[in-house]
Amino acid sequence: MPWSSLPMPRRRADFLAGYVLAALLAGAEIAVLGLALNPRVYPDYRAFYIDRTTTCLNRDRVGSFRLGETISFRYLGQRPKLMKRAEDMKVCGWSGAAGDGTHSLGKTSRLRVKILGVRGGLVATLEMAPVLRPPQTAQRVIISANGVRVHEATLTGDALQEFSFAIPQAVLADAELLDIAFDYPDSVRQTPVASNIYDRAIKLVSFRLEAVAAGGGTKSRAIDRTSAT
Amino acid sequence: MALDNIVHVRGYRFPALAMAAVPLCFAISGILIRFAAFTVIWPDHSLQAYLESLCRWDCSWYIDISKHGYEGFPIPGESNVGRWGFFPLYPIVVAGVSGILPFSTANVAIATSIALSYASCLMAWQLLDRNLRAYVLYSAFLLSGPFSFYYTSVLSEPLFVLLTSCVFLALKRNNYLAAGISSALLSAARPVGVFIVFATVIRMFEEHRERGRPVLSFPRRVLLRPDLLVAILISPAGLFAYMLYLYLTVGDAFAFSHVQRAFGRVTGNPLQFLWDGFSETPTTGWLPTSPQWSAFACVAGLTLSAILAYRRQYGMALFCALGIVLPLLTNLASMVRYVVGLAPLILLSMVLLAKSRLTFYAALVLLPAACYFTTIAWMGGNLALV
Repeated sequence: MPWSSLPMPRRRADFLAGYVLAALLAGAEIAVLGLALNPRVYPDYRAFYIDRTTTCLNRDRVGSFRLGETISFRYLGQRPKLMKRAEDMKVCGWSGAAGDGTHSLGKTSRLRVKILGVRGGLVATLEMAPVLRPPQTAQRVIISANGVRVHEATLTGDALQEFSFAIPQAVLADAELLDIAFDYPDSVRQTPVASNIYDRAIKLVSFRLEAVAAGGGTKSRAIDRTSAT
Repeated sequence: MALDNIVHVRGYRFPALAMAAVPLCFAISGILIRFAAFTVIWPDHSLQAYLESLCRWDCSWYIDISKHGYEGFPIPGESNVGRWGFFPLYPIVVAGVSGILPFSTANVAIATSIALSYASCLMAWQLLDRNLRAYVLYSAFLLSGPFSFYYTSVLSEPLFVLLTSCVFLALKRNNYLAAGISSALLSAARPVGVFIVFATVIRMFEEHRERGRPVLSFPRRVLLRPDLLVAILISPAGLFAYMLYLYLTVGDAFAFSHVQRAFGRVTGNPLQFLWDGFSETPTTGWLPTSPQWSAFACVAGLTLSAILAYRRQYGMALFCALGIVLPLLTNLASMVRYVVGLAPLILLSMVLLAKSRLTFYAALVLLPAACYFTTIAWMGGNLALV
């Protein structure tokens, strides 16, 4: 029934009710928009989903290590316990383990381990190979430990390369965890229109932490692919 | 009686029972055709295996939401892909029906989808102006057609099509409040659902003009009619309710949009996406690649939208164009499904096919025949059908 055919008092009441309902709806929607413009989220959420300042969404992963132990990031088939050691360290920015190592995903990857009881500095040794798309010939990897830049490696060619670098005591002081971030300024986009969360940069093959020895510093060497398997 | 009243077919009475029987026949034939396709590629021919074989791509997301609801953040299982991108109305309906029926959620979801699609067919009778041939083809398309697995498996398409039909039927009758309430539900079914509010406003404007009123007095008329104001303001209510829920659960009302990053969706030039799609030619054989199918679907959908506009169905045209262009801003993924999920385009296609007797009978044979092959492609994980 059209409103014009309603009796006058009822028409007025319906009019008023209509406006009240419209005002309530508008108010509620404006309020929700206000909330939407002011999200109340964790910094990790904001960085990955909203600001898009990282491709690596932080997770509660903490691995463990023994000083001097080399942890493999290759697919080890029948040795799931060994693979789990690497898996536990992978915070974000890594694919699953493959035969040629664990591939990085995105612009940043992170590893995290417990370092309780470690005195003094550490030396980290990594075996990595670059993912290159011609005409690109090199892949830079900037490595930070607990937010402090400790090393920059440049990977070239097909061969696996081994890098060692010191993580100074100052970076580890009072910390219970060692968070190692790998940033890839030259990462390879999968397709021109693909998201950067799928970028490729390196294949990580192994990781080792040792106590720093006198004269310990940064070194790198290319190693033969077959001898490293 | 009410049902009987609506089944006059241009001069003669079409029994209500027959009107109800047409989609029922296609629902049954669709199940049989899809089962036949299933037996070709699935070694286990049991009914349960058949139902599972229909569960592809987004299906498991909807089943999970129906069973467990939405997660907060951090996401359990250390994933970076939350369920927030999947709108809640369809899983709510499935969860509601699951609470009543003693079957698994997946089985209930499939039955619910078929029931929703059946209801969409009945709804189409009026939208098709009681055009019997178009009605038959529409029922065949939804329930036995080449994309019938979208409307009869666990996806939000059946609900989306039904609610879209409800909105346009209400608009056809100038019942703006009913259109607004249906729109509110639609906005909770899929992200593009909220844009149907433009169709409502366009219809209000058309009615305003039909009464000989000047263009410039339209805003004043809307402001002086609280029923129209309510109809417009209630239209996005489903979306806002979901946003409020996300704010309370995740802390981010736009989580449904922000989570797209984890699915690898990036905003870009839609023309570039289309060009890239068409450019991905097959390396072997002559069948188009998945990106080509998606690009074809896009162009076909936009062409049909233009035809709707040409036929002065501006609200439908705008809604469908937005329903295609907005997802296209992020890439061609799922484009076939998005296009065939737009009810006005399917209604128009069936009206065009029903125009001549020849095309009608050809379509009546080809639609179910195509269902067999596309179902094989769907169950085989064809990427164009994602």
